[in-house]
Amino acid sequence: MAAISPQPTFDGDILSAPLIHTDRNLLACIEPDYKPFIPGNSLRRMSRVLKMGLAAALKCTADSGLDTPGPIITGTGKGSLQDTEKFIKEIVEYKETALNPTPFIQSTYNSVNGLIALQQKCTAYNNTFVHRGFSFENALLDSIMLIQDGEPHTLTGAFEEITTEHFYIKSRIGFWKNESINSADLCQHLSPGSIAGEGATFFTLTGTPSAHSYAAISGFRMLYKPTKEKLNAALKAMSIQPDLIISGRNGDSNYEHFYKELDSCYPGIPQLGFKHLCGEYDTASAFGLWLAAQIIKTQQIAEQWFPQQQPLTTPVNSILFYNHFYGEQHVMLLLERV
Amino acid sequence: MEELKKKLKEQIIEALNLQDTKPEDIDDNAPLFGEGLGLDSIDSLELMVLLERQYHIKVEDPREGRKILQSVESMAEFIQSKQPA
Repeated sequence: MAAISPQPTFDGDILSAPLIHTDRNLLACIEPDYKPFIPGNSLRRMSRVLKMGLAAALKCTADSGLDTPGPIITGTGKGSLQDTEKFIKEIVEYKETALNPTPFIQSTYNSVNGLIALQQKCTAYNNTFVHRGFSFENALLDSIMLIQDGEPHTLTGAFEEITTEHFYIKSRIGFWKNESINSADLCQHLSPGSIAGEGATFFTLTGTPSAHSYAAISGFRMLYKPTKEKLNAALKAMSIQPDLIISGRNGDSNYEHFYKELDSCYPGIPQLGFKHLCGEYDTASAFGLWLAAQIIKTQQIAEQWFPQQQPLTTPVNSILFYNHFYGEQHVMLLLERV
Repeated sequence: MEELKKKLKEQIIEALNLQDTKPEDIDDNAPLFGEGLGLDSIDSLELMVLLERQYHIKVEDPREGRKILQSVESMAEFIQSKQPA
């Protein structure tokens, strides 16, 4: 697996990486040097999220030890916003004439998938899901079904970017906090709205564990706008006693009651929030899953990212992951050690 | 003509985001596609848009476009031929 995020997750040792925080209510990705992954002649045409998506996918494939990725399945809520905005602005500026083809081509949601397939010369199944807060989850579900149908492995991921324009539009409908906060204190700072984020995260999923495996997905449930009772029952059905919980708690007082429900289902289980690391976005679950898989594989929690968390004293054999996107799309996953 | 070619090279570099390429690196007569700058079919569309936006010249016939976009020299000649006398 591989992740490009607002934290130094792409290169080096994450256990010693510093916590990157901001008071701008927007956590932007740390972009790597793309040249080792993407030829210069291709790089010049690509916009930001395309580069992030492609580099994360290529690193993930290399990390898995596989030669080719097989089926490529991704999720994105918004795709390449930079290209979409450029294309729309040019439509207005040039009165629907003399439009550059590149932003139009790259503004389509499946352009990251296309680039991965072209670069890897991969002609297998290729699909991109665009379902707001369920985009990554549907990509994951499709991948699991493919594996159950006999595919040996899939390349599954998500990518999202935030732009100045999009940040402004979402701020007008209450997505972000009105007051500036230190992102490091996000989970403790309860008020309406959260902070914006972005990221590109990829996983190689296999039907059978290998030496490269991080964790096993042993439970997966999606719920759309559940009632309190339905959510409670679904959360309780996920696990009897997970060793750790990773939740999408994001400091948004409008939807905190869902996380309170989680607390009530699993009292006393250590819990980590991850949105202070990556911010809130449609496919933030992918980053949360990446973090959970890292913890279960290394059996360590990056202390600088979670200063209030006590070091682990007992093995983490299972992690319950729960996230929701503005109260509508809810996902819960159970990860187990392999 | 020399001034036009210099300006055209700068515009090509900007439109196609040719990182690490300077106007003096582009030979007037070197082919833009395949060898030379190694441009591709999407770049040819971008260059058509450049001609339309910067010089208000619309290339209607794709066969004509192939000749026009052969090199900086051929592009400059075409632009000059379309300028009012």
